[in-house]
Amino acid sequence: MLPGLLYPAAQAAESDSLDFQYSHYQEGKRQITGLSSDEETGEYKIGGIKNAYNPIEVESQHGHANVSLSDRVKFAFNYTQDTWGGATPVATAPAVFGNNREVYSDAGTIAGASPLLTGQNGGKVLFDSNRKPVAYALPGEPDSGLLSSQQLTHVLASASPETRKQGDFKLTHEWNEAALSLGGGISVEDDYESRFGNIGGRWDLNQKLTTLNLDLSYTNSDTHAVLDHDSLPYLDYSHYRANGQLTKTKDSAQSSILSGGRQDWASHFGITQIINKNALMSADIGYTRSTGYLSNPYKAVSVVFIDPLNQNGNLPPGIIQGKLKPLLEQRPEVRNQWNLGGRYVQFINSLDAALHFDYRFSADDWGIHSHTFEADWVQPLGNGWTLTPRVRYYSQSAADFYTPWLVSEQAYRQQPANTGRNPALPYNPNKLPDHFSSDHRLSGFGALSGALTVSKTFGKAVTLETGFEYYTHQGSFKLGGGGENAFADFDYWLANAAVKVNLDTFVGSSHDQHAQHGEHGHHHHGSHAPAGVMFDHLLPKAGDMMVGYRYMYGSQGGTILNGDVAVNDSAIVNRGCGPNPCFLKPASMNMTMHMLDLMYAPTDWLTLMLMPQFMDMSMNMKRLSGAPNDDVANNNIGNSAGSNIGEHIEHHVQNGHETGGIGDLGMYALFKFFDDGTHHFHATAGLSAPTADINIQLRRNHQVEGGFIHYGMQLGNGTWDFKPSLTYTGQLEEFSWGAQVNATVRLEDKNKSGYALGDIFQAMAWSGYNLTDWLSASVRGVYTTQGSINGRFNGLINQFGPMDYPGSYGGKFWDIGFGLSAAIPSGDLAGNRVSVEWLQPVKDDVNGYQLERDGTLSATWSLAF
Amino acid sequence: MKLRCLLLIWLLLTIIYGCTSVKSWERGTLAKPQMAQEPTPLQSVIRAHIYSSREAAGTAGAAQGGGCGCY
Repeated sequence: MLPGLLYPAAQAAESDSLDFQYSHYQEGKRQITGLSSDEETGEYKIGGIKNAYNPIEVESQHGHANVSLSDRVKFAFNYTQDTWGGATPVATAPAVFGNNREVYSDAGTIAGASPLLTGQNGGKVLFDSNRKPVAYALPGEPDSGLLSSQQLTHVLASASPETRKQGDFKLTHEWNEAALSLGGGISVEDDYESRFGNIGGRWDLNQKLTTLNLDLSYTNSDTHAVLDHDSLPYLDYSHYRANGQLTKTKDSAQSSILSGGRQDWASHFGITQIINKNALMSADIGYTRSTGYLSNPYKAVSVVFIDPLNQNGNLPPGIIQGKLKPLLEQRPEVRNQWNLGGRYVQFINSLDAALHFDYRFSADDWGIHSHTFEADWVQPLGNGWTLTPRVRYYSQSAADFYTPWLVSEQAYRQQPANTGRNPALPYNPNKLPDHFSSDHRLSGFGALSGALTVSKTFGKAVTLETGFEYYTHQGSFKLGGGGENAFADFDYWLANAAVKVNLDTFVGSSHDQHAQHGEHGHHHHGSHAPAGVMFDHLLPKAGDMMVGYRYMYGSQGGTILNGDVAVNDSAIVNRGCGPNPCFLKPASMNMTMHMLDLMYAPTDWLTLMLMPQFMDMSMNMKRLSGAPNDDVANNNIGNSAGSNIGEHIEHHVQNGHETGGIGDLGMYALFKFFDDGTHHFHATAGLSAPTADINIQLRRNHQVEGGFIHYGMQLGNGTWDFKPSLTYTGQLEEFSWGAQVNATVRLEDKNKSGYALGDIFQAMAWSGYNLTDWLSASVRGVYTTQGSINGRFNGLINQFGPMDYPGSYGGKFWDIGFGLSAAIPSGDLAGNRVSVEWLQPVKDDVNGYQLERDGTLSATWSLAF
Repeated sequence: MKLRCLLLIWLLLTIIYGCTSVKSWERGTLAKPQMAQEPTPLQSVIRAHIYSSREAAGTAGAAQGGGCGCY
């Protein structure tokens, strides 16, 4: 069939596919400026300050499935998960106010900058007679002269890692010349939840030369941001308190929650037109109306209140003093956005390439106008390779209410007394702009980015894709000039890797394969082990490939065990933390793993396997009853002397801990020893490469470092590990059985963070029965033993509970698993196999003090070809 | 209004081009993967999410979620 007849419409329908993508976003370090003292004269100077904070990093995983439920009905599903952490600007201020102060380490070297939202004199700031910000040349000495500077700087705050999860779907009914789709989804993160739905239609006109699209969508989102008690005393949030948007958190009297709801209605109309046999274009127009709380709960504007009646005191002539108080930003509660876009796609015959050109204009009633230009060149290179370079330029004007900082001619009083003032506010809001934000994303700037994507398709079915993008945001890049100054500039890179499986290509081939295998078809079915078993089979013959996806969810909760005995709080306080008392215990812990199985058989007796892993974990903690006061933790053995680490206990209870990202990379070779059709015996030799992050730290609070997050929340082992296993499987008629022994041996004494997880030995046996020709059930017994952690973190770890001590890891574990496995024998999805298994703990005998296990769910999908 | 003018021009251009005829058997080139409107659809989702958390412009199309992007 001619490809033109296969997809004749201006907008081609998506084929059945399963895709998995990983991406990593990494921002460059922000430049910050502050006051530092000259080593010789002691005079203040303005200059760049070492920014020791890790910049923002985001690890994302994205799974996408698109399957035909019938000839006319398609179902698409997406699952996205991001874990982000790092430092981001909270406010902007003149550098001369000293909002960034150098922090010295114990050794006397500059360790980084400490953010001071109200500057270094507790909010007292100075201006010269021209209202330019100044500081005394010598700290605290009015007669020492003045240091004047207009330089602005960001004030940064860092965040411990947090995870967002999103699931969404779309159901589409296709007619010959039209389609109707219905979609929806939910996005959940600690401080923000968003639910959305959409409906869309497509009409093909004019012998499918023209396609019209209309979409309507509605999003309802809630912010419930815990305002950090660390920064609360320095911030003014009275506007939101007066609005009734602040509530106390239930676990802690020291912090507040800022709540807000928002709604977004969006509509979008598009037209796609085939121009000739080598070109098509599309145009679209969109309108979005947003209402409600549209501000960012973590951004503040530095406001200097100058009280004309309070200019006495020891001020040099002409010098004016003010009070610096950052106010949480206040954006308008309505936003109407329009956007207009066009796309042109031209085929370049001589190179078999395509040029894509996109332009988009967007305008809103906040005063932001933007232009986006993008050009892609898609160049197939033969043998399934495609290279796509891309350039993009973006420019926006600033929002009307954007301001890096503000000056207000009025007194800021903690206790409002004067009449004519909103009694809930310590200032007169009429003397401030109605709305203000110093979020640099609302400033005028331009951004230039370049990207390259490389993809390789294997036999039409499987495509591997990787891309890299570099992006630079600069005020000076704004179209027509007038952008924000360089202090707000930043850059990032984004790398991604994806596996795409086109299920349509199996429609023909899997039937053939099935027919060809004949009696083998059955044999295949029986020889698969339960979902939780890895390395259970080789590929049948040279040249075979398999892609698979493995999901594992493990949960712990409830009782704390010591050995195999449940213990109460006082036992944990007194004995759970070695030489120190315990303050906290884990209340629950969840771990999710997403793994890809990529298998290839170069010969009949050898199968190679690559297994990238993606992890995310969360832990909630509780205070132990009978624990000593928090400040006792300051004397903990193993902490750096004199630190005030007890301050962090409250944070541990307030906010659960979350981590996530790429895990360790497994590389395996499976060797066939024996196979007579009934009995199979093979060995696996594997290596686990330390690709995961094991250096995850909690953020600094109260000027006290957060230190390493718990051992069990780091994303991998950090060591090179040897992973051998021996597997025997057998089947006879409807019965199958198997056994495996495997081990994980650390090849290094310690990882770069100073410790090594204990070695693991595991033995298991299972048995299965084919209930029907496509469904089988299994039962499995597993014994696992793991040593405790060797060594300890080579940096600060704030030890508050058993999970912070190396001795409370590993143990002996007995489990029993119940599984189901379905193989699709024929039809469009033939060759696909889906298995699930629940592993129920039978007995735990833990090292040290650990949370009891609830169980583990494993699910796998695989497709051999 | 500038916006309406631009829209009108787009629509006019599209209608003018719409008069040409490309028979279904002449659409082989248009069905090539490099001619897909989104040549890298998976990446586009991630990129759109990053852009929307770093830029103030509106995005095209129906709501796809995306979270706070507060960082």
